[in-house]
Amino acid sequence: MRFLFVDRILQLSPGQFIRGLKHVTPDDFYLCKDDKGKLAFITSLIGETLGQLAAWNVMSTNNFTKRPVAGFANSARIYRKAFVGDTLLLESFIDSLDDTAVQYHSVARIGDEVVFTIDGALGPLLPMDDFIDSSTVRRQFDEINRPGEWPWPTPPTERLPLLPTTDNQLISAPMVFDRVIEHVPGVSMSAEKKISYAAPYFPDHFPKKPVLPLTVLLECSLNLATLFLADSPYAGQYKVSEVRRVKMSDFVYPSDVVLCYLTVKIHQTEKLILNCRIEVEGKRVCILDVVMLPKEREQ
Amino acid sequence: MNVDAIYPKVREIIADVLVIDEKDVTLDRRLIVDLGAESIDFLDLVFQLEKEFAIKIPRGQLEKNARGDLAPDEFEKGGVLTPAGLSALKQYLNEVPDAYFKPTMKVSEIPLLFTVETFCKLIVAAVKEQSATESVA
Repeated sequence: MRFLFVDRILQLSPGQFIRGLKHVTPDDFYLCKDDKGKLAFITSLIGETLGQLAAWNVMSTNNFTKRPVAGFANSARIYRKAFVGDTLLLESFIDSLDDTAVQYHSVARIGDEVVFTIDGALGPLLPMDDFIDSSTVRRQFDEINRPGEWPWPTPPTERLPLLPTTDNQLISAPMVFDRVIEHVPGVSMSAEKKISYAAPYFPDHFPKKPVLPLTVLLECSLNLATLFLADSPYAGQYKVSEVRRVKMSDFVYPSDVVLCYLTVKIHQTEKLILNCRIEVEGKRVCILDVVMLPKEREQ
Repeated sequence: MNVDAIYPKVREIIADVLVIDEKDVTLDRRLIVDLGAESIDFLDLVFQLEKEFAIKIPRGQLEKNARGDLAPDEFEKGGVLTPAGLSALKQYLNEVPDAYFKPTMKVSEIPLLFTVETFCKLIVAAVKEQSATESVA
C-alpha cells in the first residue's frame, strides 16, 4: 500500500518553498475513526505528508542525489483531525539547506483553518541510492508535479454530506503497540511492538532499505499516551495537543522489537507532558514528549 | 561573554538533548565517547544552542574553524589529517587532552574529540562574531 501522500505539487521554489495538496478520501488506506466514529486520516500522517512535501523540494533541488530522512522536530502541533472528504492544503518552508541536512517548517490547512504545524524540523540528507533508485523517485515526482492554483476558496461541494462508508474501509494495519508490558496507572507504561516486513509502509519506505517511518512510531506513541491517560487519575481531563522534541537517532528495521517507555514528565493543572523513550535492544532509537492540555482549554 | 558565563546554560541544554542527568555533564566530557551522543544529537544540539543564544552556527563550523588558514588539501588528504592538519586541530581544540589525538586521524573522527567546552568556545566565538557583524551593520 502506498506510503506516498502528496497528491499534487502546486508550486515549488527550489530550496525555499513548496505547496501541494492531499485529498482525504474513502480510497485512502491509512484511516482511523475519531471518538464519534467518523473516518479520518491518521493524524501523524499529516506530519508525514508535510515531511514528504519538504522532501520533494529538497530532492528536486539536489537533482535526486540525496534524500532527507527523519531526524528531529522541535514541535508538531495537532489542531484537529482531517476527515474523509477534507482536502489538506500543504505548505513547507525550507529554512536552510546544504549537503548534509535540511531545516524546515510546515503547515497544513483545511480551507482557511490550520490543522497541523511542524516547527524546527531537521532532516539529515543521505545518498538516494542507498534507499531507492533515483529514477524511481524522479518518476514519482514527475507524476505529482503539476503546477497549478491553490484551490481557494474551498469549493462549496466539499460541504455536502458524503455517501455512507462501511467498516471494511478501515485501516487493516493499525499504528499501535502490540502489547503493554508494564503499567503503573498515572505513573508509567511500557509497551512492545514487533516490526514485521509485511507492514504496508515498507515497499515505499524504502525499496532498497526498508526502515520504519518515524511517523508510525509517533502515532503508536500517541495511541499509547491515550491508552495511558484512559486508565489514569487524569482520565477524561486532557487531550493531545502537541508532540515536542521528537528525535529519531537510529533506523528501525523489520524484525526489530521496539520497546516504548512512557513516563509522566510534568503534571500540572494546565498541562500534562508524557515522555516516550523508544528503544531497540536497549539502544535509544527515538524520544519524544507528548503535550496534553485540559480538554476545555484545548484549542 | 566567556565559557564560564555560558557553561551552566550549555550544560542544561546538553543534558536535555542527550536525555541524561545534568550532573553527568562536565566541561571536559566528550559528547560522543563519554556522553553517548549520536550524529542526530549534534543537529539537535546546534539547533537548541542557536535558539538559546540567538546565533547561527553553520554546519561543519567546528571542522572549518579547526582547519584555520590551511587549504583543504593541506588539512587532509584522502580523508586523513596531514601532520599540519593534526597540528592545526590540536591548536584549535586545545581543551582536549593530547592523549585523545591519534597520530593518523581521519577527518570523520574529529567529532569524537568534541567536548562540552568545545561547544562553549564555539558559542562564545559565534556570539562575538554576531556582535561584530551587528556593530558593522
